[in-house]
Amino acid sequence: MKKKPYRRKCGDFEIRVLTDGRVIMLAPDDELLEIARALDPNSELLPPKIKDEGYART
Amino acid sequence: MNVMNPAVHSQAGSRAEIAGKSLKCCRLCPRNCGVDRLAGEIGYCRLDAGVRCFREVLHWGEEKMLNPSHQIYFAGCNLRCEFCTVAEWNEQPEAAKVMDVEQLAAVIARRKKEGARTVNLLGGEPAVSVHGILKLLARLDATTKVVWNSNMYYDTIVDELMAGLIDICLADLKCGNADCANRLLGSADYVEVAKRNILRAVRHCDVIVRYLVLPGHTDCCLRPILNWLSAELPNVKLSLRGNYVPPVQAAAAPLRYLQSDELKRAEHLAVGKGLTLVQ
Repeated sequence: MKKKPYRRKCGDFEIRVLTDGRVIMLAPDDELLEIARALDPNSELLPPKIKDEGYART
Repeated sequence: MNVMNPAVHSQAGSRAEIAGKSLKCCRLCPRNCGVDRLAGEIGYCRLDAGVRCFREVLHWGEEKMLNPSHQIYFAGCNLRCEFCTVAEWNEQPEAAKVMDVEQLAAVIARRKKEGARTVNLLGGEPAVSVHGILKLLARLDATTKVVWNSNMYYDTIVDELMAGLIDICLADLKCGNADCANRLLGSADYVEVAKRNILRAVRHCDVIVRYLVLPGHTDCCLRPILNWLSAELPNVKLSLRGNYVPPVQAAAAPLRYLQSDELKRAEHLAVGKGLTLVQ
């Protein structure tokens, strides 16, 4: 195992899972936001009105 | 919410030319590098004359009055915040694509159709790419709601160039004193410059002062910021953010997450100062 922590490179995305179960996504893009929605459909990242309408990205 | 002044909007193109010429001896920010970015030289922000974008996304995590917000990330920055969540793009901005104005304008139009309420210009630091941003604004509909999401560390020329072209200044005030600013951001004059630019911004647009609450920086940063706001801008909108993400390694930045009761205490202090919090 490397002694130094991994340093993000351009194009990398970082997801952290905290000990209390929270998941943190740093500066997410569309794909990560989709994952966030799948993990937590009630996430504040997706407003109720759009969610109810079955919002889909075009 | 202000509406972009159509008369000023028509000046965006000519202002872009002025900004572009200034890159011959770049002094867009207090780093005062004086490099010739037009000739390919790079200064502290590590940018030549190319304006580079590395991400765009429709986001609901900004302040409610801005959501959904179309975030456009510009690479390159004039600070070196230890806790920056996109530091890699500031260390190596050349890895990002050079902005194609027409293409990006089309993306903005598409995002608007998808529900974007605002176009959110962030980075990095947008001020060091102001010449390209002005070109982009010249291409946009004057009714587009533009958010200038900045660390506020720039020369007054940037404020003059952007005046009348932005609807909301989301002023990311990062520290409350020179010592913390020097250790955490790499800039001892940051607080002084940022305060000056916030006071200038309120003259021409709505301002939200955002403070990412730093764990353990209540007395040195939070309190001085609240005191200053209550004295100078008692009616300003204040957004206290609790989503600090500690870096894996740091010389000075906090290495822990903020606790929910710390955010509540920060909000309590702000309300006690008579300030208006926005979510």
